[in-house]
Amino acid sequence: MKVKKQFRYFTIFEYEKEQEYLRKMHRSGWKLVKVSGFGMYHFEECPPEDVVYQLDYNQDGLAHKDEYVKMFEDCGWEYIQDYVGYSYFRKAVSDDGTAEEIFCDDESRLQMMQRVLKGRMVPLLVLFFALMLPLFIMTLSRHEYIQAGCAGIVLLLYVVIFIEFLVQYRKYKSNRIQ
Amino acid sequence: MDQHIKKVYVPMTETAFLILLCLRKPNHGYGVVQMVEKMTDGAVRLAPGTMYGSLAKMEKDKIIRFIREEDKRKIYQITDLGMEVLELERNRIERLYKIAQEEMHHES
Repeated sequence: MKVKKQFRYFTIFEYEKEQEYLRKMHRSGWKLVKVSGFGMYHFEECPPEDVVYQLDYNQDGLAHKDEYVKMFEDCGWEYIQDYVGYSYFRKAVSDDGTAEEIFCDDESRLQMMQRVLKGRMVPLLVLFFALMLPLFIMTLSRHEYIQAGCAGIVLLLYVVIFIEFLVQYRKYKSNRIQ
Repeated sequence: MDQHIKKVYVPMTETAFLILLCLRKPNHGYGVVQMVEKMTDGAVRLAPGTMYGSLAKMEKDKIIRFIREEDKRKIYQITDLGMEVLELERNRIERLYKIAQEEMHHES
């Protein structure tokens, strides 16, 4: 069987983009086998099919994995693996063309983002203010421009991630009933 | 009743309402999914990520409680507090419905 590997980097809040990427791969005849290392996606050749991929981030679920996975399997989702706190699921689009998702309302989509925020974003923020920002200022004040430039690029990346998060968060929040 | 519970659950999402309604009898998450599908003639299909998150949150908020485990499925049942919340929400919806009925009746 033919296999291939692709490297893709998705920032913490780009799980929707990642889901789309995996769906597109499956549609073109490459099904996900596993994700490993630093964003290395392993695929194997398969008949092209429209399969929805979904990521959940649920630490409570990982702690009670048996029941957690059972709930998804009961609902017809195949559990693939966990990767840096995310759980990967997939389910074929049904014959009538309905593409299901693992969340059915914006309230629960928002709650998932809040779990990602707590689990991934808070440590990032601490790193940002305790390490990257002082590093940037220090190197700049010492006129170490190459180091400052590197730190600056990382800082910029952080800012992009923060903004992306805010945009998505507000989208779900404004859709909510309350 | 705790003000926090009231703030979070009144009004509540359709998902939360249907879960509480079903858990008046002990059931597991997937059982609720099936019940809701039947009750709504297939119009509402609750998704597993939403179900798992909702059940965990409701248990933490003590409006449902864990009864036992059966074949890796956790069985829950509504608590007295949960019944109170459900009743409050039912009354709220009923009041809205009545107002709408009267208003639309006047217009026609």
